[in-house]
Amino acid sequence: MLTTVVGNYPKIPNRPRPARLRNAINRFDRGEISAEELRAVEDDVTREVIDEQVEAGLDLITDGQIRWEDEQTYVARRLGGVSINGLIRFFDANTYFREPVVEGPLVWSGPITVTDFRFAAGYSPRPVKAVLPGPYTLARLSRDEHYHSLEKCVMAYAEALNQEALALQEAGAAFIQLNEPAIVKHKTDLPLFQRAIERTLEGVTAERALYLYFGDVDGLYPQVLDLPIDVLGLDFVTGARNLEVLKTAPFTKTLGLGLVDARNTKMESVEQIVEGLQRVQEIVSLDRVHLSPSCGLEFLPREVAQAKLVRMVEGARRAQEVLV
Amino acid sequence: MSNALLTTSVGSFPKPAYLQQARNQHAAGRLSREELAELERRATREVIALQEELGIDILVHGEMERGDMVAFFAEQLDSMKIGGLVRSYGNRYYHKPVITGKLRWPGAMTVEMWRFAQGLTDKPVKGVLTGPYTMVDWSFDEYYDSRREAVLDMARVVRREAEELVKAGARFVQVDEPAASTRPEEMELVSEALGIVTQGLGAKTITHICYGDFARVFHQIANLPVDQLDLEMANSDYDLLHLIRQHKDGFHKELAMGVVDVHSHAAETVEEVKAGIKKGLEVLPPERLYIDPDCGLKTRTWQEAEAKLRVMVQAVREVKQELGLNGHP
Repeated sequence: MLTTVVGNYPKIPNRPRPARLRNAINRFDRGEISAEELRAVEDDVTREVIDEQVEAGLDLITDGQIRWEDEQTYVARRLGGVSINGLIRFFDANTYFREPVVEGPLVWSGPITVTDFRFAAGYSPRPVKAVLPGPYTLARLSRDEHYHSLEKCVMAYAEALNQEALALQEAGAAFIQLNEPAIVKHKTDLPLFQRAIERTLEGVTAERALYLYFGDVDGLYPQVLDLPIDVLGLDFVTGARNLEVLKTAPFTKTLGLGLVDARNTKMESVEQIVEGLQRVQEIVSLDRVHLSPSCGLEFLPREVAQAKLVRMVEGARRAQEVLV
Repeated sequence: MSNALLTTSVGSFPKPAYLQQARNQHAAGRLSREELAELERRATREVIALQEELGIDILVHGEMERGDMVAFFAEQLDSMKIGGLVRSYGNRYYHKPVITGKLRWPGAMTVEMWRFAQGLTDKPVKGVLTGPYTMVDWSFDEYYDSRREAVLDMARVVRREAEELVKAGARFVQVDEPAASTRPEEMELVSEALGIVTQGLGAKTITHICYGDFARVFHQIANLPVDQLDLEMANSDYDLLHLIRQHKDGFHKELAMGVVDVHSHAAETVEEVKAGIKKGLEVLPPERLYIDPDCGLKTRTWQEAEAKLRVMVQAVREVKQELGLNGHP
């Protein structure tokens, strides 16, 4: 069993630790520091959050998406054809993202996250997962003023993201993950979703993960097992029914088990985590589990996020002692 | 006043610079609670005076004593605490409250300020509360086993506060539920909780809902247990009116219709707003149509807020004139 995270990590700590990134962005916005100086702070904070994940004992980490303003915009704004609009509520979370507007043909004009990946991989003593927003979620959360067709917009994003995924692979990424919360809210789009994921992962030989969170996969399962992926990550908190859903057909992938609630500060006990893993054993053996929080950790205060990772790793270790 | 196209506001007004500064000083421990309260009353006087001067019919007190709409109440509840920082968007963070124990009403939280504001004017001032669903949804919960239990206990707290406002003389009680439309599967819970607050309250009850996929849940929104729905319209080009028009059971409530966008800096033109009001009148009679901004005005500058309200009031005057809705003198 591996322990990992789904994507983002809280950017600033609480007092007495200084909110360095927030202060640096404020100073950058006021013209008091240069883009290079801001980048240096982002680098420092990225190293900090890598350290925190490694100290917690995770096997597979991310760069924490410290430079990302939200789960879509960082990638979308660097594609040709996209401009960025006003704030929109992000699903049922009380957070907001800036709406990408597709104004012209979507064009990948060069690597977007490769420098970030190289930086994180060069620093981290543990393997680093490259995480991208999936084409379906990107299209769903964009305003399409060009294609006038969800299908065309999704497939154009898939085309662009495929080039990004191949660039990451070229840079040495051994794990490439797509996050696709939107499909959980629009299950009837499964056929389009399948084509888009296939297109995005064409030629990708790295280990491929697809994470679906903010709900369960009833209505998508077992068809999602036909996708060219190695890991299927699911949310067992908001999608508590996933356990029952997975029992309806043999599970053939590695399971990304989102067991620890990434949206509430209430701490899980080690026993609860062990029990959760025990229940999952009916579906998949623990050596095919990537244990994680239920979604990205940015909905939590930094200290709680770290404490939850420490607890999760304790739970995983205990489970390996008592269950195997 | 004639009861056609009454004008009102959603709740918050921009905080004047001196108050913003005073809040920062208070947070840093350099200004006493009482000194801050004096400046909050000064700003409230200005908010009431502005609405009087503009000729608005149903006033709000402006929420000068409130920062975040959830944290304001959470700070006063014994079984809630203010938690760590989480990011709202971009480089904006807030301290997200945490429910740590059984929710109980701690004594009146809003009555003193309401009474002060109502004492400054002969026009009615709304009592404005954050709704139980939003209070819970926008907080962490380390105590309850289910969202339902937490929301219903919170509803009892909000109900008690609403009763205190009515006892003090409030004729309009508004319960804001901006979180309500984000989870279709929980609309029944929203409704049940709101019913606990509004049932037999003895005042006109209003709920303000914003930012959501209204089409999927409009049937439930239309049936929420309140007398008046307050919805944003200007920022969605009045699309929501179609939902009301198509609502199959007929729409029997009053509607407070947002006619100026609170997220844009520029004031709308009188003509634009008049066109919006006329769209509303195609769907509802003037006695059941109230006119207000889309949402709270706190993110605008004082000048922007004033300009938008002035345009709104002028547009209402002209529409009433044109349609002969001024009633008998």
